[in-house]
Order: sequence, then C-alpha cells, then structure tokens
Amino acid sequence: MTTLQLFLYAGAFILVLGVVATMLVRDLIRRLIALNVASGGVMLLLLALADRGDGEPDPVPQALVLTGIVVMAAVTGIAIVLARRVERLDDDLEEVEP
Amino acid sequence: MTASSLVLVPVFLPLVVGALSAVLSRRAAATLTVVAAAVTLVTAVLLGIAVLESGPVPLEVAGWAPPVGILLAADGLSVVMIGLSAVAVLAAALVAAADDHFAGGHAFWPLVGAAAAAVNGVFVARDVFTAFVLLELLTIASVALVALGGARSAAAALRYLFVAVTGSLFFLLAVALTYGHTGTVDLARAAERADDTVIVGAIIALTVVGMAAKTALFPLHSWLPVAHPAAPTAVSALLSALVIKASIVILWRVIEYLGPHTDIAAPLATVVGIAGAAAVLWGGILALRRDRLKSIIAYSTVAQVGYMVLLIPLVFAASDPQVAWVGGILITVAHGVAKAAMFLAAGALASAAGTSQLDGLEGTISRMPWTVAAIGLAGVSLAGLPPTLGFVGKWMLVQASLDAGAWWWLALLLGGGLLTFAYTARMVKATFNPPGDFSRARELTRPARTVTIVPLALAAVSVVLGVIPWLLIEVLSAAPMGGGA
Amino acid sequence: MTVVAFSDVDVLDILVVLAVAVTAVLAVVIPRRVSATIAFLVFGLLLALLWARVAAPDVAIAEAALGGGVAGALLVDALHRRQPDSPQRSRRRTATVTAVGAVLGAVTVAALVTVLSRLTAEPADLGPLALEAVERSGVSHPITAVLLNFRNLDTLLEIAVVVFAAVGAAALSRDRIRPVSDPGPVRRVIAVVIVPALVLLAGWLLVAGTSEPGGAFQAGAVLGAALIIAHLCGVHAARAEGRRALAIVVTGLVAFIMLGAIGLAATGTWLALDLDWAFAAILAIETLLTVSIGMALAMLFLAAGSRDEGSVTDARARAAAAGGAP
Repeated sequence: MTTLQLFLYAGAFILVLGVVATMLVRDLIRRLIALNVASGGVMLLLLALADRGDGEPDPVPQALVLTGIVVMAAVTGIAIVLARRVERLDDDLEEVEP
Repeated sequence: MTASSLVLVPVFLPLVVGALSAVLSRRAAATLTVVAAAVTLVTAVLLGIAVLESGPVPLEVAGWAPPVGILLAADGLSVVMIGLSAVAVLAAALVAAADDHFAGGHAFWPLVGAAAAAVNGVFVARDVFTAFVLLELLTIASVALVALGGARSAAAALRYLFVAVTGSLFFLLAVALTYGHTGTVDLARAAERADDTVIVGAIIALTVVGMAAKTALFPLHSWLPVAHPAAPTAVSALLSALVIKASIVILWRVIEYLGPHTDIAAPLATVVGIAGAAAVLWGGILALRRDRLKSIIAYSTVAQVGYMVLLIPLVFAASDPQVAWVGGILITVAHGVAKAAMFLAAGALASAAGTSQLDGLEGTISRMPWTVAAIGLAGVSLAGLPPTLGFVGKWMLVQASLDAGAWWWLALLLGGGLLTFAYTARMVKATFNPPGDFSRARELTRPARTVTIVPLALAAVSVVLGVIPWLLIEVLSAAPMGGGA
Repeated sequence: MTVVAFSDVDVLDILVVLAVAVTAVLAVVIPRRVSATIAFLVFGLLLALLWARVAAPDVAIAEAALGGGVAGALLVDALHRRQPDSPQRSRRRTATVTAVGAVLGAVTVAALVTVLSRLTAEPADLGPLALEAVERSGVSHPITAVLLNFRNLDTLLEIAVVVFAAVGAAALSRDRIRPVSDPGPVRRVIAVVIVPALVLLAGWLLVAGTSEPGGAFQAGAVLGAALIIAHLCGVHAARAEGRRALAIVVTGLVAFIMLGAIGLAATGTWLALDLDWAFAAILAIETLLTVSIGMALAMLFLAAGSRDEGSVTDARARAAAAGGAP
C-alpha cells in the first residue's frame, strides 16, 4: 500500500462512517457531528490527490478543500439554529400538555 | 455587449438583489425582486436568440479557459430553464408581495434571490466543482426558506438539510474522482480524458445517488412530502417548481458528457428508470390517498420527478436520443409551471377557507372559481392532456418509447397520466358545494386579486406553450444535448 | 486474510491517519453530546495535523480556525442545553438497524476502495499548468491565485453561501443576543489583550496570503473568533446582530460582484483581473471579504450559541427546584 492509497482508503472509510451515522443516529447534534466527520473524509481524499508526485502540491484541490470547509461551517451554523428551534419546541410542548 | 457577457446576468443580478434585500425594506426588496425576475426573463430570451443563431454561448470566467479556469455555457437547456426560473420567481414574488403570510417573513426576499441565482448558475454550469458550490448555496437558501413556515417547520427543514448535504457529499466524492482520474473538473475536458470505465461508472453512480437525494427521487423522496407542505405557500411553489430542477439538470449534464465513456451507463440508466417508474406509481397512489391539499400536491411532485428521470433510459435506448431529451426537458418545464400554479392556488384556497383539509373546502368553488380553475388546468398539464405543454413533452417521450420498443415506459406514461387526472379531479371536486345546497355560498375572505390572477396566468402559460411549442423546441434543438460546448 | 504491506509509507503518516480514524469513530458512536463534541474537537485538530502532513498548510490553518470554531459552537450548545432523552426503542430493533447499516457501509467502503485503487499516482498535469499561470495572476501564492483569480467565481459563490447562511440564521434565531452586562475583571483583561491580538493576527494572515499560506478565509475565521470573544467579554461595539451587522456582511458579496462588473468593463469578461491592477484588486477584495466573513461567522455562531434564559424550560427548572412538582 502506498501513502496515496492509505489516505484514499482512510478518506473513504471516514466518509462512509459519517454518512451511515448521519442516517442511523437520532440525536440532532450527533447527526450534525457525523455529517462533519463525513465531510472530513472527502477532504482527506481531495488533499491526498493534491499531494501526488514529488513536486509542489497541486493548488487546485487544496483550493477546493478550503472552499468546502467554509461551506460546511456555514451549513453547520444554520443547522444548529434549526436544531435549537426543533428542540425548544419539544420542550415547550411538554409544558403545554396538562 | 456580446452574448457571452449575458451569461452571468441571471446569476449575479438575483444575487445582488438578494444581498441588498437583506437590508432594504420589504417593499423595496419586493420591487427589486420582481424587476430582477423580469430582466432575467428578457436575458433568457436574448440568450435564446443567440443560441438559435450560433449555438451554445460560452463564457470563460475571469478570462481563464479550462482546465485552469471555469467555463460556463448557455445552450438550449440553459435558456429554457432560465426562462422557467424567471417565470416561477416572478409568480412567487408577486404573490408573496401581495400577502406577507404567503412569504413567511422578510427573510423570504434575500433567500429567494440566493436560490434563483443558484439555480440559474446550475443551468449554465459545465464545471462540476462550481456546480457543487452552487448546489450548496441552493441548499442553504432552500432550507432556510422552508423554516420560514413557522416553528413547526424547523424539523422538516432540518431533515431536508441532512438529506441534501449528504447528497452533496456524495457528489463531492464524484468531483474528487473526476479530478483524480482526468486532472480537471471541467466536464467537457474530463470527458475527453476519461479512460477507465469503472471510475467513470462510479462517478455517474455517485452523482445519481447524490442528485436522487436532492431531487427526491424514489426511494430517497420521503423528505419532500414533509418539507414542501411545511413551507410558506410562495416557498412551496418555488421548491417544487424550481429547486428540485437544479439537481436534475446536474444529473443530466453528467450523463450527457460522461455517459458515452463507460459501459456501466446503460445499466445504470435502467436502474434510474426503474426508480422513476416506482416514483410515478408511488407518488400517484399516495397523492390519491392524502387528505390535505398541499400534501397531495407534494406527492404529485414525487411522481413527476419520475418522469424527469425517465428520459435517461430512453436516451440510451432510442435511436434518436434528441427526441427523448427534448421531450423530457419540456415535461420538466411544464411541471415547473404547473406546480407553481398549483401550490400558489392551493395556498390561496387554504388561506381563504382557513384549512387545507379537503373536507373543509366544500363550497369554495363558488367564491373562488378562478383559483379552482387554475388547479384544474395545472392538473391537466401535469396529466399530459392536450393542448398543454405537458402533452407535447409526454408525446415526445411516447415517441421515444415506441422507437426504442420499450412498451413498459409507454404503459407507465399513460398510467401515470390517469393517476394525475384522478387526484386533480379529487381536489377540484372537494371544492364543490355540498349536494343539494346551492343557495348558501360559502362565507370566505377572498384573497387579493394578484393572488387569484397569478396562478391562473401560470396555468394559462402552460396551455399557450402547448399550442405553440415550436420556439422552445427550436431553441432546444439548436444547441442539442450531447453536442458539447 | 490478506496481509496489507506498506511500501515506504512514513510511520508518522500511518499513526496520524489511525488517530484520525479512531477519533472519527469515537465522535460518531459516543452517546452523550458533550463527550461526542469533545471527540469531534480532537478529530478536527488531528485533521489539521494531517493536512500539514500532506503539504497543505493553508488548509491546516483554515481547519484549525473554522473546525475549532464549529466544534466550539457545538460544545457551547451541548453544555447549555439539556440533551433530549432518546425515544425508547426496542434494543433488538436498534441492533438490527445498526447491523444492517454497518454491513451496507462495509460494502460501500469495499466498492469505493476498488474504484479508488484504480486512480494513478501520477499527479494531474493541471497542477503544473496552474503553477505556471500563477506568474500572470498578480499574486505569488498559488492557492490565492486559484481562489482569487483563476477560479474566483467559486470563491464568490462560497462567500454567498456564508452570507445567506448568516441571513437565514438571523431570521430564524429566536433568541436576541443578550449583551453581557457585567463582564468582570478577567473578561475585561481578555477583551483588552486577546481580542486586539486576534485582530492583528487576522490582519497578518490576510496580507501574508498573497505570498504565503493565509488569506481571506483564515483571516475571516480568526476575525470571527475575535468578534465572538469580544461579545462574550462585554464589548458592546461587537454586536453581531441587527441591520448594521447584516449590512457589513452583505457588503463583501456586493463588492465582489462589483469587482466582477469592473472586470467586465475593463477587459470584456466577468471577474477578469488585468495584470496591472490584479494585486491591488485581490488585496482590496480580500480585505472586504475578511470583514464580511468574520462578521457572518460571528452572526451565525452567536445566533447558534446564544443562551435561552427566558425559555420555559428554565422556568420549570426553577419551579422544580423550589419544591413544586413538574
């Protein structure tokens, strides 16, 4: 196994781990963590592809990963806001029931 | 101004308007949005003329050609879909401006600008990573728009977010594979260099899964009948009419460019076709069984998505794939217009009657005949009956099926139409007066005139385009799919 | 069972990848939110380490700043809110579902590994092409050249993602961000010492980005952290909410689009940068973007992390503590 393969396979594992967890776990915040883990897996894949060969690393996949990280941060931010809304509503509902 | 410089107008104009709308008053935001939609429509027409004259209009953004830079191109599909987007946004904006209740609040305006910019970008994209970022922008805007429907819609919005972002990650993996194998993320260049049937097959498969989740293709559809009804009316209209089209277009593009480079494409296409068939049946049957207006219309969308992917196996099987492409695209446009009309009309009806339960709508037809007519007419277009645009598209798909000798698709097309007709009739019938009770017209607050006119106008558009579809077909054929840019 | 042979793989690489994989599993399976978010925080830091190992220092800085920020927000959220009780599910059903998921996951990983093994170890020829074009981009750092020149459309769209997420968060967050009334001496010191230091760091990252690792995103993330800390320490000027904040956020995006239009007017193509003024344009835009991103991230994560002191839950807790039955 080469270094490239190590990184690629690890990336695939982490991605699938995250996706399966996102689908199976019920807790909203934990699902969000799983989604972020999955995204980390794809980033690993892209960066491994950037580091192929002996010369300078390829700037294109690195730029793509940078973009992806920022996007996931934004997605996570809005997801937290929504999760709070969902869970607060459940709390309030508990109160209203006699 | 050359045609190339027009290509980014449908993206940047709504984006700027959306950004400004975040800080302007509601009236200013509404006006700007309506104006931007009108300008986008004009731009689509101008681009259409350019396409008719000389084929696809390319734009090398920032002056760098691929593989270093990003290439965008407006072809027949782009022009037609941008036209749909402009019309849908215009309709939703007019209704939302008339009554803020249909919009869900002030954040409607900036978020709609973002969504419109994102879908228009997808329609001209030829670069898979740019497509990824555009889809993420669309997801964020759409999820937030759904959540505007009140505290209870937050759960539906969050579910949509998880499904959509998971789909995006699968697609990002496809992008990584594309880059890893071909050294570029531009579809045309990647297609030239694609060399390995397994890798290309995996790229297409991952794209299918990712886009299926985002378009709510069976069996990844369950988030849609929850999210679309939970959203405010104008948002539901845009979600069904426009937002799900973006992921479908990406799927079409990837198949268009990379399909010929792998042996796995044809079997994958068949799998997609089966999913589409299941969608048509499942969506149609469930639409017949629901009791709330918006729920029925949402399941109808699930069914219609099946038609949109149906063109994929037909493209591979038919001897003239263009018929399948054009037919599928026309059905997609027809669906967009009709769905927008249906949701807007249904929202008006439910708002006036105070409920969206079917049995609470008795007698509404005598007070709001035009609104009910809009629903009926939209249903006729969805069912693919003449003289609507839906019929034209369906007819072409039927021709492609016959040509390919695929009797099962034919049966599906016709059977699906029957189901559509049935649930439309059920909705319309629910608004009739109770039997024998002609005297007492239902007491209702009629909505603003705009809210009555807009859905009817949309439904009328699908008839007009059905009677004179030549222009659309010309534009689609002038820069055909598979022609490449 | 096949034996996996490693041909000249650095032991350190294996260890870091292993650590990343282990923390990934932990972050995903730990049932309590607080512990899971801590595992996730460690995952992010190990990831940053890994990015440094694969010669991606820009990404490592961004991962540390943004990933740490995200994990921090999740942690604050998990600490302040009671984790809802999971619904009682039959253990057999949970076990079956998990088993099915694990099997499907394993199959998918196997399939992906098969596909990935067919990728060549030859670097893409796009890399050298891009590196060669950097001389004509106006800056000397390759990633900045890609982000702000060659593929600046992607960057513009990504800014839009951040901006509209902030708009959405502002509209959907029910909490008003409460100003901290009495910060206390410790927080005052932090406000006076750490916040300016972070702002300076942001500025340095921004300017350095033209020739070394750094740039608008990293600077923006650090600035966002500075704003959040400033808010928590009672600095009223750092209010990341309301129309004024939105205006600042929106300005970056609008300015970028205007730059695109200027490019159109000057060179005939959207977003094209003439070599004469490319450097100045890139630096100017990056400055505006840094401020925009910083404010947007602060809005997003302050909205996400604001305390709900007025919620019914707390009232109930107070009543229960006072002896009343819930």
